[in-house]
Amino acid sequence: MNYLIFALRLMIWLLLTADFGLVNLAIGILVSLLLPQGRRGRATLWQWLSTLGKVVMAVPRAYIQAIEMIVRPHPHEAIVREPVDPTRAPGLIFLDIFTITFTPKTIVLHYNEEGWFEVHQLVEHRPEK
Amino acid sequence: MILQWLSNACISFGLFLWLWGTWPLVGRRSPLYKLHFLSVSDTLGSMAIMIGVLLRIPREWPLLVLALISLALWNTILGYVLAYCSQGEDSDG
Amino acid sequence: MTAFLVIMLLILGIPLYAAWKGEHIWSKMLAFASIATKAAIMILLVSVQRDDWMIGIVGIIILSVGNGALMLLAQILRRLRDVANL
Repeated sequence: MNYLIFALRLMIWLLLTADFGLVNLAIGILVSLLLPQGRRGRATLWQWLSTLGKVVMAVPRAYIQAIEMIVRPHPHEAIVREPVDPTRAPGLIFLDIFTITFTPKTIVLHYNEEGWFEVHQLVEHRPEK
Repeated sequence: MILQWLSNACISFGLFLWLWGTWPLVGRRSPLYKLHFLSVSDTLGSMAIMIGVLLRIPREWPLLVLALISLALWNTILGYVLAYCSQGEDSDG
Repeated sequence: MTAFLVIMLLILGIPLYAAWKGEHIWSKMLAFASIATKAAIMILLVSVQRDDWMIGIVGIIILSVGNGALMLLAQILRRLRDVANL
């Protein structure tokens, strides 16, 4: 079972119905288990939890970066390559892309199947070529 | 009272981020450069405003939290898709 | 609350102006994406001000389904450019 998909479905169900009773919870679990599932993720629960932790930590980091951008202007652009393990599950790679793009200083341009992201970055000082 | 004050502070902060991040749109920089600023205003600013609204009407929290999460998700994905699709273009604003 | 809404309207003018003036297609796309999000948030604030949660539901729905049309349009534009460059 793909933990992320399951958690996401159950969460959307609970927030939509706004009813945390036992019956509704059971219906939600049943529905999220019965909905058609995609490819099986090869990731372990621990990988999911650590990636989700990074996603949660990205929120305060994004605000800190926004304030940094306001206080000190970042007028220059740079493109860097960031290595990523190509054997990671697709869901985890999606979360990685989300984490990088969510922070305002960095945006993922392109994910290459051979194992790197192309990341567009705002920098304070002109990068030496 | 303190909640009201906090909510006003959140909305004001969000509005400031909106203004600051939307301003570069009229400049002549590359779309990618503008996208960084839009991510500040549209994602972070709007999230701050939503938190302000959440503090005002806490009874509707399930739907507001759902909207908060989907706001962050959709805006980020849109940023990624726009960045991916606009690259390779000559970058004269 | 009304003051917030007036400021929002003024800020909404910036992407409108950018969309009207920008001759570059991607600048226009960015401006439209910005307008979509800002309008949805404004709907939420209007609903709080008028104390009418029905309006708020509309804003929530707009935020939840997201702006898939813009993503589709971006893909089409990229594909068109690829075809034109062939």
